[in-house]
Amino acid sequence: MEKKILRGRAWVFGDDVDTDLIYHNKYLAETDPKKMPQYSFEYYPGKEHFAKEVKEGDFIVAGTNFGCGSSREHAVYCLKYAGIPVVLAESFSRIYYRNAINNGYPVLFVNGLSQAIKDGKIKDGDELEVDLEKGEIKDLTNGNSFHGDAVADLEMDIMKAGGLIEYLKEKAAGK
Amino acid sequence: MGKTMIEKIIRRAAGREVKVGERVWCDIDLSTARDFGGANCVLQFEEVTDKKGKVWNPDKVAFTFDLQAPSHSEKVSNNQKIIREFAKKQGIKKVFDVDWGIGQHVLLENGLVKPGDVILGTDSHMNLLGGVGAFATGVGNTDIVASWFEGTNWFRVPETMKVTVTGKFKKGVCMRDLLTHIVGDLGAAGMFFLATEFYGETIENSSLAERITLCSMVTEMSGKVGLIMPNGEVLDWLVGRAGDEVKERVKTLAADADAVYVKELEYNVDDLEPMTSCPDAPDNVKKVREVAGEHVDQVHIGSCSNGRFEDITAAFEVLKAGGFKVAPGMRAIITPATREVMLQCAKAGYIQKFLEAGVIFTNPTCALCTAEHYGALPSGDVGMSTTNRNFIGKVGKGSHTYLASPMTAMATAVRGKITDPRDILG
Repeated sequence: MEKKILRGRAWVFGDDVDTDLIYHNKYLAETDPKKMPQYSFEYYPGKEHFAKEVKEGDFIVAGTNFGCGSSREHAVYCLKYAGIPVVLAESFSRIYYRNAINNGYPVLFVNGLSQAIKDGKIKDGDELEVDLEKGEIKDLTNGNSFHGDAVADLEMDIMKAGGLIEYLKEKAAGK
Repeated sequence: MGKTMIEKIIRRAAGREVKVGERVWCDIDLSTARDFGGANCVLQFEEVTDKKGKVWNPDKVAFTFDLQAPSHSEKVSNNQKIIREFAKKQGIKKVFDVDWGIGQHVLLENGLVKPGDVILGTDSHMNLLGGVGAFATGVGNTDIVASWFEGTNWFRVPETMKVTVTGKFKKGVCMRDLLTHIVGDLGAAGMFFLATEFYGETIENSSLAERITLCSMVTEMSGKVGLIMPNGEVLDWLVGRAGDEVKERVKTLAADADAVYVKELEYNVDDLEPMTSCPDAPDNVKKVREVAGEHVDQVHIGSCSNGRFEDITAAFEVLKAGGFKVAPGMRAIITPATREVMLQCAKAGYIQKFLEAGVIFTNPTCALCTAEHYGALPSGDVGMSTTNRNFIGKVGKGSHTYLASPMTAMATAVRGKITDPRDILG
């Protein structure tokens, strides 16, 4: 969360993106998070090329209930270590949300994103500018803007610590 | 103002009054991991504690091996070994190795689950333990590792939905059909972040297996947990396994009569028909007869949702009515949830009959919830399964899956095409 204003390309997905589509069960035996990005979205029809073409700084843009399905944290690591600075979605499934926060990985609930995706108001390859602190998203390609929800206090504290483990260590050390 | 079950459960675990929407730290009664995710937990715990860490209470940590049991790949074999060695080092005795079966079911059968328990596991269907009133939830490895430090973790106190079910299932129709109907009705986000309490005569008279089926599918509506306080035979069974404290918990944790619900729904099952989740999403629901006659290459009966003795009995009855023979060319696989269930099947004489009919009857394991297990589907094939998810390619790239009840699955295996079980049962 060091850089306040981020710029990058959008990779756009729909509603209810299941964890098998983000990171397929075929690769669950992987234990090294840094090796997980090579499998990202391999089973997502039309996005099979994601892992090869994604660039550091690109954004994931999705509709409602992103990350529904399995508890696999692989589905967070595979995007985090691909260099995606933040996942933007109308909403996240609860386990995916926890897994992201617990890793200090920013996820933003963005109002109206699901409909905007359906209406073609935000598209694959659009250039986005994201102000993480203010929760403001501008689509520089077509001029639309969106606004994210504030993160709850505890989650923000965990994020600031860098994740749940770091948060607990700080707490134990009396910081 | 009265309290819902989840509010009382979290109050007990937090040791203080709680409000809906609040984030609270709860004591964890059991923190578990499987062969999937388990090695990730162990390696992460060792890394963040410089291999010096001790889990807060070895008696409250358990490992279950179910996703690939027995392992058929070197990678998973090594992951399982990592877990075994960690358990030994930490003095963790509750290790249910590859011979036991599906984790939540094994924990339940071994008396490790009581109403009100807060249980974590690396399985998004942990929450099926809500079928006996436990707040069990699937989490990632970081949540597990964090809980091993001091036996606590954070939760948001969820809003609660109330679902009341009345009526009696007709022959050939069962709890799975109700669930499929509800998933179709509410959609993939229909219980988003919610706890759901189930009530009504249909629930009160239901078996443990039916309650497990019901609560397992809450995940497919993005719910936090489905909850049913044990009563009748289920209560007796649970007391037999987990002890007398169960009775006290049922009394103290039942929802108040004036508890506040964000939504109340009613379903009647009198006229319910066999239902199916069509490819490629659990909420793409139709009546079985609407898709009857569609070709299916493989049928699978099992999983944490429908792998209990009652489920396999229901399939057996359909096979019996169908003349104890599966259709030529059909690959029919039955996977009991646990060793205990498999023994029940053996004692009932089912296994010989299944084998003679051409069914593949396997050891207890999760089986077709992943493409990394026997029965993975080749591209273009269509399967029918009693598992809980059917996203495109889940059990093999380019394959498609229908989800249905054990009765519909077996009827389909007998006829070689999607079949309403009532056509065979009469």
